[in-house]
Amino acid sequence: MAALLRGLRAGRLLRGLTSVVAAPTSTHAQGSSLRRGFHFAALKLQDESKSDKPSVSSSSSSSSTITNEHHQAQSAEQDNEAASQQHSDPNCSDQEQDEDFETEEQRQTRILTAAVEFVPLHGWSMEAIAAGAESLGLSSASTGMFYNGAGDMVLHFISQCNSKLTEILAEQHNQVQLGQAEPKKTADFLRDAVETRLRMYIPYIETWPQAMSILLLPHNIPDSLKHLSTMVDDIWYYAGDRSTDMNWYTKRAVLTGLYNTTELVMLQDSSLDFQDTWTFLDNRIQDVVNMATTAKQMQSTGEAVAQGLMGAAVTLKNLTGLNQRR
Amino acid sequence: MAASLRLLVRRLARLSHRSITSAAANVSWRSGCCLCPSSSRCLSDAAEDRSTHFGFETVSEAEKAKRVYKVFENVAQKYDIMNDAMSLGVHRLWKDMLLHAMHPQPGARLLDVAGGTGDISFRFLDYVYYQQERQKRRATGSSQSLSWQDISDKYPDEDRPQESRAVVCDINKEMLKVGKQRAESMGIISGVSWVVGDAEELPFDDDQFDIYTIAFGIRNVTHINQALQEAFRVLKPGGRFMCLEFSKVTNPILASLYDAYSFQVIPVLGEVIAGDWKSYQYLVESIRKFPDQEEFKGMIEDAGFCCVQYFNFTGGVVALHSGFKL
Repeated sequence: MAALLRGLRAGRLLRGLTSVVAAPTSTHAQGSSLRRGFHFAALKLQDESKSDKPSVSSSSSSSSTITNEHHQAQSAEQDNEAASQQHSDPNCSDQEQDEDFETEEQRQTRILTAAVEFVPLHGWSMEAIAAGAESLGLSSASTGMFYNGAGDMVLHFISQCNSKLTEILAEQHNQVQLGQAEPKKTADFLRDAVETRLRMYIPYIETWPQAMSILLLPHNIPDSLKHLSTMVDDIWYYAGDRSTDMNWYTKRAVLTGLYNTTELVMLQDSSLDFQDTWTFLDNRIQDVVNMATTAKQMQSTGEAVAQGLMGAAVTLKNLTGLNQRR
Repeated sequence: MAASLRLLVRRLARLSHRSITSAAANVSWRSGCCLCPSSSRCLSDAAEDRSTHFGFETVSEAEKAKRVYKVFENVAQKYDIMNDAMSLGVHRLWKDMLLHAMHPQPGARLLDVAGGTGDISFRFLDYVYYQQERQKRRATGSSQSLSWQDISDKYPDEDRPQESRAVVCDINKEMLKVGKQRAESMGIISGVSWVVGDAEELPFDDDQFDIYTIAFGIRNVTHINQALQEAFRVLKPGGRFMCLEFSKVTNPILASLYDAYSFQVIPVLGEVIAGDWKSYQYLVESIRKFPDQEEFKGMIEDAGFCCVQYFNFTGGVVALHSGFKL
């Protein structure tokens, strides 16, 4: 019985071969389909006894043996038909083997990462996601998974940038800990962190206004604010801030303002390597530092003035004799 | 032994009609397909022992397919008018929502099973055409500032074969006839193919389609699980399965109103407009026999689809289930 089935499968393979030769109905490159067909047929005859590809037998939950055999037979057919597809997409075969281990989120992340490559061409839109999915060998219909559409892609890109920034800051921190690098002053640290982060936008700067407008859509605002605040918090943490009073809020508010204004300047900056933007950033940080020192000075001056006034008042009272108690 | 013999015969039948399919690029052929699966089913004796529901009646499985065929043969001419009358035109909104959720990209291939009179396919072609127009407009808009040389270079690019095709597959020739007449009257000549086929055994190769839809058809299929497995087979990796079907109403008040309307009004409308009480009695009964949203979602997941979700329309009267082959 099993021998009969195997014979049938071999027959189907040979028939599949002739279909590959005679009428290449698949949309893949026809030139090398013949070679691929032979190659994979040879492989298939060797792999007959091996288990099915997980992508086909994913319906293993169905209990009847008939359906299992049904799928086993179909897998041989499907593998042959999809032979050229697998060959041209090495990612696909890896994906099939890891399919049991990959969660839906990981898959979505992969598609979005691929989609970001197509942004300069299509903008931040569903077309970019469709192009990304197709580059991974998936049908463009898989864009339906992203109910937020372009918003998903932009938020994914932002969280990727934030993770990259955190890695860089952690690396620098380690180096300082190991004594291989000098610890930077706060102002310099902030400047470098903001510059590193904003430089990640440079490849997409043409379409970045579109991305910002997507982030401002009401249903995206909570997520974009969340990403912004975590990024600002991370930067301050690695800058060494451990404050537990009002300073915590003021520092983060200041950095948020700094970051947002610099981003806006960057959008319309046409100087070489965005020099104007970094100059703007320097000036703003300087302003912040100045303001901090000015505040301190004002406070001490205020105290001194208050004490002076108190002294004058006491002297006056002495002079007029109000202080005497008789 | 008997089970594997049955499988063998079924495979031989499929071998014979696959050899016809692989030779032709366009898969539109007539009654040959219908004969093979029915002959293999005749050889299987177990099907007649198993019984299933036909509305509120109990019939054997072989019987059900025949009776469903008769129902739709009778109602085919008045199908669209009856849809409008029974749902007060709301079915158009449901189908529009299906298309909106689908959001097909240009170049996608659609398989509309039990597509009968072609509602979904026509909408699909309209949608994709509109998307392509928008893209072209955007492309020409961005090329306003280009030189004449660049603009003339772009012209050959627009002839890229980005044709989206819709294949309407139905087991019932009468329904397909009505659909073809509608296409001709609407002036849609290219882009749609009409294929006679059984949802449980589709006459297509694996990995062919980006999107598989079945609108108000799956409750008439004898073995729903088989139809789902066939859907899984013919979809490309990343392809999307979408099913629009009547489902359970959650709100009890609405449910009682809906029941009253279904059993009192709809068969009467059927008698008055189409002259067929029994078919519409079957229709409303079959809705009650169909599994509810969660159960159907489980069935779709069993077939191997992931990211399965459902959306209720009109309070649960209609549910749209969507799954991805990944």
